Amino acid sequence: METFRLIGKSFPRRESFAKVTGQARYTDDIDLPGMVYGAILRSSHAHARVLRIDASDAEKVPGVLTILLPGDVPGNLFNCAGNPPSPILIKDERILTDRPLYVGDRIAAVAALTPKACQEGLDALRVEIEPLPAVFEIEDALRKEAPLLHPDVSQTNIFKKMEARKGDVERGFAESEHVFEGEYRTPDVQHVPLEPVSCICDFSADGSLTIWSNTQTPFQDRRVLSELLGLAENRIRIIKPATGGGFGARQQIHNQHVGALLSRRLRRPVKIVNTREEEMLATSARHGSICHLKVGVDKDGTLKAFHAKVYLNAGAYCTHTNIVLAAQTRKFQYRIPHYLYEGYAVYTNAPVAGAMRGYGNPQLTFARERMMDEIAKELGLDPIRFRMMNHLEVGETIPAHTFPLRSCGIRECVAGGEAIRRRIDEEESAPEKRAGETEAWGVAFCCHTSGPSNNDGMSSCVVLVNDDGSVNLCTGAADIGQGCETTFSQIVAEELGIDLGAVTVTAADTLHVPYDLGTFASGQIYVGGNAVRQAALEIKERIRVALADHFGTTPEQVGCEKGRFNLIPGDGKKVSLSFRDAVAKISFGQKGTTVIGRSSFKAVESPLPFAVCWAKVVLDRASKTVEIRHIIEAVDVGRAINPDIVRGQVEGGIGMGLGFAIMEQIECDRKAERPSSSDLLHYKIPTALDMPRVHVYIAEGTQEPTGPFGAKSVGELPAVPVAAAIANAVAKAAGEPVNVLPMAKDFVFRGPQGFRKAEREKGPPDDKR
Amino acid sequence: MENQHVMIEIHVNRVPYRLTVDPSTTLLEVLRRDLGLKGTKRGCDQGHCGACTVILDDKAINACAVLAVQADGKSVTTIEGVSSGEHLHPLQEAFVEEGAIQCGFCTPGMILSAKALLDKAREPSEEEIREAVSGNLCRCSGYVNIVKAVQKAALAMRTSPWKPSD
Repeated sequence: METFRLIGKSFPRRESFAKVTGQARYTDDIDLPGMVYGAILRSSHAHARVLRIDASDAEKVPGVLTILLPGDVPGNLFNCAGNPPSPILIKDERILTDRPLYVGDRIAAVAALTPKACQEGLDALRVEIEPLPAVFEIEDALRKEAPLLHPDVSQTNIFKKMEARKGDVERGFAESEHVFEGEYRTPDVQHVPLEPVSCICDFSADGSLTIWSNTQTPFQDRRVLSELLGLAENRIRIIKPATGGGFGARQQIHNQHVGALLSRRLRRPVKIVNTREEEMLATSARHGSICHLKVGVDKDGTLKAFHAKVYLNAGAYCTHTNIVLAAQTRKFQYRIPHYLYEGYAVYTNAPVAGAMRGYGNPQLTFARERMMDEIAKELGLDPIRFRMMNHLEVGETIPAHTFPLRSCGIRECVAGGEAIRRRIDEEESAPEKRAGETEAWGVAFCCHTSGPSNNDGMSSCVVLVNDDGSVNLCTGAADIGQGCETTFSQIVAEELGIDLGAVTVTAADTLHVPYDLGTFASGQIYVGGNAVRQAALEIKERIRVALADHFGTTPEQVGCEKGRFNLIPGDGKKVSLSFRDAVAKISFGQKGTTVIGRSSFKAVESPLPFAVCWAKVVLDRASKTVEIRHIIEAVDVGRAINPDIVRGQVEGGIGMGLGFAIMEQIECDRKAERPSSSDLLHYKIPTALDMPRVHVYIAEGTQEPTGPFGAKSVGELPAVPVAAAIANAVAKAAGEPVNVLPMAKDFVFRGPQGFRKAEREKGPPDDKR
Repeated sequence: MENQHVMIEIHVNRVPYRLTVDPSTTLLEVLRRDLGLKGTKRGCDQGHCGACTVILDDKAINACAVLAVQADGKSVTTIEGVSSGEHLHPLQEAFVEEGAIQCGFCTPGMILSAKALLDKAREPSEEEIREAVSGNLCRCSGYVNIVKAVQKAALAMRTSPWKPSD
C-alpha cells in the first residue's frame, strides 16, 4: 500500500486556534465605517395581497434612513438557488412582493442607524392586506378548489414532473413473485445552523458592490445578483468570512439583494442579520414528502422492479426543487432491471424548501429502506443479506447514472459495522432487562454522491509559490465548517513534499480566487480536491522545466520522487533538491522564474460513497417509550484524507439524522394559517442529552480511482440513512410499521439512560482502530 | 422616563469597566457592541441556543437573556478571557485536539459552559458533562467530540492544575 506523509492522517482544522479563542471572524462580527443596519418587513400571512403601504410614520422614526417598497426595486423574476444556471430552475420570485405567498415573504425593507431603529421603522409601516386562502400540505394543494399559487408558471400547483426509467416496470411487476406497496411521509424540516443568515452589502461610490455573507456558493450568488442588479460580475465581490454552518441553507440568496439595494440608495454599508424567527420561517427548509413505492421481487428475494412516485412540498417558490427531483432519480444502489421514478414538485404556502443535506435523498432513502425491511420480513430473509444480495458492485451502473461504479466498499462497511454491533451485544448481553421492554436493531443502507450527480462539478485553483518554498493556495471553495481548507492543505503539502504549515489558504473571495461551482452536493473533496491536486502537479512540472533550464539539461532528465527533485547535470554530479531548495535555485538570478500552479477541473463522474447505519432501541411497550441506545454508521468514502474530519462529519450527520427521525418538523397551524415552529423552543433539535452512543467505522480498503488520492466525498452521506435505521428498529420492536416521520407523533423518546452507570466504571468504548 | 440611562460597573475578563447603558440593553449587546468582544455569539437572542454563553460570577448564563444592569457589580468571563495570553486553557486545547470544533459558532459558548462545570467539578461524569452543555446547541458534531474534549480537559486539569496568569 502507498504510504503518505500527510494524506490519511488527522490534523486539527487550520482555523482551530481562532475558533477556540473567539478570534474567528463571522459576518456579524464585522463592523465597517459608516455601516448602518437593514431589516425586512415579512408577511405575517401565508397568502395575501398587499393593497397599500403607508410609510409616512415609518419615515419619521428617529434613525430611519430609507425605506424600500415593492415598487422601488427591480420587479424582474429570479430564482435564488445557488446552482449553476439551468432552464429547469424556474424564475418565480421577486426581491420584494405585493403578493406574499408564505409567512416570511419579503414585502418591504428599512435601513436605519441602529437595529432598534430598524425594528421601530418596521413596526411603523402601515400595511393594508387582503388575506387569501392558503394551503400548507401537498394533498391540500392538489385539490381542485385549492388556490392556484403561480398561474404564470402552471395551471395546477404541480409545477414540474420529473421521470427517470429503465426497462419496463409493468413487465417487471408481472414477472415478480411478490409485489409490495407502501406510502411514506417525511416532514418539512429546518437546517438550524447556529449562525443566522447574515450579510453586509457595500455599494461604493464607483458603483461596484462588495458583499460579506455566510454563503456556500459565492460565485453563484455573484451570477444571480449580477443578473438581478444589472452589474457585470467583475463589479461584484463576494467574500465569505468564517461561516457557522450551512447544510444547504446557505446555497441560496436570502437577503443580499435587499441589502445591496439599500446600500445603493444610501451609499453606506448595510448589515442585515436574520432573527431566529426569520431563520425558522424565512430561510429554505427541507422538502416535506409523500412517497408511494411499489416493489416487485422474485421468490428468492431478487429485486425485479421498483416504482417510486414522490411528491415534494416546495413551499411558495421553485428555488432548488426541480434539481432536487433530478437528484432523487440517481440514488438507488440496488441492482434493478425495471425502474421508474416519477417526481412531482408542488407549490404550497408552507415555508420555501431548498437545498438541505442529502438533497432529496433522506426522504427517498427513508421510504426505500423501510420498504426493504418489510420485504425482508415477509420473505423471511435477513435484512442485511437481502440488501447485500441485491447491492450493486464495481462495474455496474445505478439507474439514471452515466458511468459504472469504479469503487464500492459496501462489504467492508457491513463487516466493520457488524463487528461493532456484535461487540455491543456481547457487552450488553445480560442487562437487567425489565418486563415489558423489547430491544431491537434496525439497519439501513444508502448511497450518495461526490459532487453534483449530473456530473456538473467544476472547480479551479491557483497555487502561488513563494521564494522561500511556502505556498499560497487560492481556491473558490467555501469552507462552511466542514474543514475543506484543512484537507486541501494536506493535498497540496503532500504533493509538493512540504509541511502543512507551509500552505496558506485564501478562499471564497470572488475578487481574489478562481471559480468554484460552490459548496454543495458533497463536492468539495472530490471536485475541489481534484482541482487542488492538479494545480500542485502543475507546480512540480514547472519546477522541473525551470530546474532543467537552470542546470542546462532537459525536463525529462529531472525526476521528481517523494518530494525531491533529482537530476544529473553536465558535470555528472547527482543533484537532489527538496522543494524548498529547488525553489531557491530558480527564484532569482539570470534565469529567475516565478512558479504558479493553475488548474481547471471539470468532473466527468460523480462517484458514489456508501453508508450503512444500525440503530439499537429499547421500547417500553406499555408507554410506547423508546430509548435509542446506539447508532453505528459505517461509511465508504474512498480514502479518508483526514479521518478525524470524516469521523466528525459522520457523527454530526447522525445527530442531524436523529433529529429528522424522531423530533423535527415545521408545524403549520391550519387555523391560524401560519407555521408555529418559529423558535428553538417550538422546534427542537437534538441536544447533548438526546444523543445515543455513537460508533463510526470508516472503510479503509476502498479507493476511488478518479478521486484525489482515492477520496470520495462524505458531507451529506451520513445524515441520509439514520432515520430509516431508527424507524426499522422501532418498527421491529413495536411490531408495527413506522412509515411517517417524525416518530414523536407515535412514540415518546427519551435520552439514553443505560450507558451512564457502565461508563463510570469502564470509560467509553473506543472504536478507533 | 424614556432613555434614562444607568451607570453600571462590571469586570469583564478581569478588567473593570464603568458603562452607561439603557436599562433594556442585554449583557450580550454590551459585550459585543460596547466592548467589541465579538467572540460571544448571537445565535437566537431568545435564550434558547446557548451560543452567547458567558460565565457571570461562577455561573454559565445566556448573555442575551440577562440585562446589563443585572450584571452590575459582577464579573463576567467571555471566551476572550479563557486562555492566558499565549497559553490555551486545557479545555481549548482539548477542543482542538479532539476535533470538537467544526463550524465553530457554538464553540465559545460550549467552552464556557464546560468551564463553569470544571471550575466546580474535578471529576465530572459523562452524564454531568452532557447535562452541563445541554443548553448549548450544536448542529455539526453530534456532540460526540465535545463530550470527549471536556473529559480530556478534566483529566488534564486533574494531572496538572491550570493556573490562569492575571
